[in-house]
Amino acid sequence: MAEETLLLLKNIRTPGYTGDLAAYQKAGGSKAWEKVLKSMKPAEVIEVLKASGLRGRGGAGFPCGMKWSFMPPPSDKPHYLVCNADESEPGTFKDHLIMLNDPHEFLEGMMIGCYAMNSHHGYIYIRGESQHAIKRVQQAIDELYKAKLLGKNILGGGFDLHLTVHPGAGAYICGEETAMLDSLEGKRGQPRSKPPFPAQSGFDACPTTVNNVETLANVPFILNQGAEAFAALGPANNAGTQCVSISGHVAKPGVYEVEMGHNLKSLIYDYAGGIRGGKKLKAVIPGGASAGILRPDEIDIPYDFDNLMKAGTMRGSGAIMVFDEDTDVVRLAERTIRFFNHESCGQCTPCREGTFWLKNMVRQFMDDAGDEALAKRMERAAFQIGGTTICAFGDAVSGPMMAFVRKFPEEFAKHYAS
Amino acid sequence: MAKVGFSDAVLKEVNTLFERYPKKVHALLPVLHIAQRENAGWLPEGWDAYVAELCETTLNHVRGVITFYNMYKTTPVGRHHIMVCTCLPCGLCGGTEVLEHLEHRLGIKSGNVTPDGQFSLEESQCLAACDQAPLMMVNEDLQKRITLEEIDRWIDEARAKKA
Repeated sequence: MAEETLLLLKNIRTPGYTGDLAAYQKAGGSKAWEKVLKSMKPAEVIEVLKASGLRGRGGAGFPCGMKWSFMPPPSDKPHYLVCNADESEPGTFKDHLIMLNDPHEFLEGMMIGCYAMNSHHGYIYIRGESQHAIKRVQQAIDELYKAKLLGKNILGGGFDLHLTVHPGAGAYICGEETAMLDSLEGKRGQPRSKPPFPAQSGFDACPTTVNNVETLANVPFILNQGAEAFAALGPANNAGTQCVSISGHVAKPGVYEVEMGHNLKSLIYDYAGGIRGGKKLKAVIPGGASAGILRPDEIDIPYDFDNLMKAGTMRGSGAIMVFDEDTDVVRLAERTIRFFNHESCGQCTPCREGTFWLKNMVRQFMDDAGDEALAKRMERAAFQIGGTTICAFGDAVSGPMMAFVRKFPEEFAKHYAS
Repeated sequence: MAKVGFSDAVLKEVNTLFERYPKKVHALLPVLHIAQRENAGWLPEGWDAYVAELCETTLNHVRGVITFYNMYKTTPVGRHHIMVCTCLPCGLCGGTEVLEHLEHRLGIKSGNVTPDGQFSLEESQCLAACDQAPLMMVNEDLQKRITLEEIDRWIDEARAKKA
């Protein structure tokens, strides 16, 4: 196998690493937290993050330092940092790898984030199905309280901080940041209209920032090694490494850490071992179910935010799903739309109704009752969902569903009524 | 109708939870999880109103939340509640076959409970371990790269244990 570029998964790849606080500290952990508390002002931390060029790893790729700088100066309202550990984008499992095997890394990043944004309470929102992750992260938090790295007057520096694990209850949409905040408030997880943005009015109508697990896991490295060391990795505007989840019909599915901009084809063939059973490749979905599908001749490209966007799809959460020559792309489309129809929160008509009708149209193809007009209608219906909804869910349905029809017309033709 | 309400020990746990949030209603999701844990995995009649009062919110609000999230159940689940992922990529890596096999072996369709109350079956969305497809979750236990033979063995063992 090709070598990984290990920054986030360095501990996890060390044989015998247990992930408890003592092991984490033995590997150099907690140093950034101590340094920040003892020698840095919150604004200085944000400047370092901005200079590093770190972009959010949850899906949208928003610059992390800039997001943090949107938080208002301290006032009588509490500030909150919420860690998005919902990880429900189909094909994504890298946050679970981090949470289960090296939870202190992202927790340290989260604690530094809380300090930088004057937040004294952070919530980690983990999907309710993942009891194993909930227990593991809670155990790590208990260790931090015991070591007095969390709680009141931490290390005598006068800073108070509490972290709480909040379980979800099975709803994909709660990975959307404003739906997550509603869910954290004990409501149905339905996305909010923006503005106001969470930095003005988030959890409990107070200034709030939401960051993904992997994004926060980068923060200790950036504070320890400096923004330049981080920015030196990856192409311009796409700094750092990335934990890529590769699944589907590959020989060695799993999480691989590579520099941003690593070639997509190489990820599949050099890291994930190529297509299993010596079969040929039919299609790649490069960024979770919300990303448009690619044909085999389109995958010789650098894997990062900007290059995937240029290719008409997206990097999303870094989830690469690989499908071999035996795959029926119409069935792939059916699984995808079934998912989106099930998970639509139902607020916006184009999304609620559109996913329903798209599902029915794909099912007609599954019953071998399609025709060219139906394929066109499907593409048009998918197009009309895009840009018409409160949150990005509408676009997440629209892009991939159009891509299925446009990129694989011959697959749909196999299901025309004879 | 069985008694509705937490024991003193569980109430203590719930009160510790309330301290972690600005308002009691914010803890509604975890409190509902605890209510299900105390009631064999579902919310019998009267618990929605009880939790509403505990979290200082309305019955309507709690019912809205219960019906929004997949994990809250208003009808009994089996002693072994089985979830099978048939989403991408599990669905194309054997997940649908696993579900069909379970339906056949248990004699129930997804969304139902066996007459003896031992097993309930649910088709689920992504469970975030796609590299280990196909996935099956039994209560809190995630079973990876599950084969049809393993499923048969597991069902036989679970049935034997009960008998």
